[in-house]
Amino acid sequence: MKKKLLLLGASGGVAPRVIPGLESDYDLLLADIAPRPQAGACAQVDITRYEQVLEAAAGVDAILNFSVIRGDPTQSFHVNVLGAWHVMTAAAELGISRVIHTAPQLLREDYDWDFDLDDPPAMAGTGYYTLTRMLSMEVCRVLARAHRIHTVCFLFAGVGGEFSREQVAEMRDFPAFYIVWEDLQQACRLALEIESIPDYFQEFNMLSYFGQGKYNADKAKRILGFQRPAP
Amino acid sequence: MRILITSAASPMARAVAAELKDDHQLRLLDDDPALETGEEEVGEVVRGSLLDADAVWQAVRGMDAVVHTAEPPAAPKTGNQDSMAKQQFMLDWATRGTHILFQAAVETGVRRFVYGSTLEIFSSYPEDVYISELWKPRPGPEMPAMSRYLGELVCREFARDFPVTATALRLGRIVIEEEVEGQRPDAMWLDRRDAAQAFHLALNRDRGDDLRFTARWALYHICADIPNPRFLIDSARTIGYRPEHNFHKQWKA
Repeated sequence: MKKKLLLLGASGGVAPRVIPGLESDYDLLLADIAPRPQAGACAQVDITRYEQVLEAAAGVDAILNFSVIRGDPTQSFHVNVLGAWHVMTAAAELGISRVIHTAPQLLREDYDWDFDLDDPPAMAGTGYYTLTRMLSMEVCRVLARAHRIHTVCFLFAGVGGEFSREQVAEMRDFPAFYIVWEDLQQACRLALEIESIPDYFQEFNMLSYFGQGKYNADKAKRILGFQRPAP
Repeated sequence: MRILITSAASPMARAVAAELKDDHQLRLLDDDPALETGEEEVGEVVRGSLLDADAVWQAVRGMDAVVHTAEPPAAPKTGNQDSMAKQQFMLDWATRGTHILFQAAVETGVRRFVYGSTLEIFSSYPEDVYISELWKPRPGPEMPAMSRYLGELVCREFARDFPVTATALRLGRIVIEEEVEGQRPDAMWLDRRDAAQAFHLALNRDRGDDLRFTARWALYHICADIPNPRFLIDSARTIGYRPEHNFHKQWKA
């Protein structure tokens, strides 16, 4: 029987491009505060309302939270921080043992001059987007460990959606810390199928091009089995 | 200095105000009506919530320092008062409210922040370890401690981004020594008067001009000075912290 997944933020910038890589192997329940412009049913769920998240998550095997608000002084906290707490609290209440979360990488501003970077410290700063996503990761980390919810957080700076992973592998340069859709789809599948996550919470760099020798995804390779085509 | 104290109606904030009032000019911020009685002798009373950006901006204007005690207020009197609503409010207050406060403070030229965090974030560690500021916080999901930890992270990021001195005091379990006589001692106990002393001392830190973030930002563990302690206060001693209420009767017994 296929696993049932709840995708929150299904109408946003990321989820609609991840869905094609999941829909053949999973039953997807799409949800967003706004109707999805593409075809397909999408439940209306406001992540800032706990009862709505709880109701939507009933009966699913995993929650993928792609909801995000970037620059709004109030909604960034409500959607990103409170929303993450609602997701993890609902997962705990319903016995859901798997959550996938996303966040922006939190290091480029301070580390772009360095190389071979994997799992460096998070330096969010005070901007609404990066700070609230860092706080949301901490919320996920705390509740994942407390309630034994295997939780993965994918970090990336942007997406290079128009390219295939094979094309990127052969390129001479590509934006740092960007990931193509195929690779993010692969990472989601791996995160959904891996038996357990060490310490119940891990964050992973997600990127599709390693030519600069700057950022790497060694941890994702080591723990999730994330693979890239050879250049 | 001109100092703003948040959650001013709380017992912790009142103790801080009593400690500071002879040496500094105080402004007391809270939306709790209990603040208004008899506080005028201590400082200027300003009514408002941390979640009201306009009220906060007015409160921080003209201040040199902010003491954010982070003592959680009661949830709003209107609306749902169930556990979920209270936890949602506490999370929002600790994260967004702290951001509103410090953002307004840096915009109005405040250069010193002191934040009241908690040692409860180490509760999950075993009893037989010595926990210094170098230990990784592992807060549980209980909202009072977790939200306070998240507020500490917000405070830290302001020290990273701005030329301000930010100091977080991870406070033990607040008690009054005379009120816990006869009780089984707790390694996390901290007398409220000693906590107030720590806030006073933290205000003396002035590293906002230092180019190093790690100098602008500091963390101190604050609890009683007891034999064979669980929480090490050696770092706090470097700013002059000398607790006077150390529960000797219980620890000698």
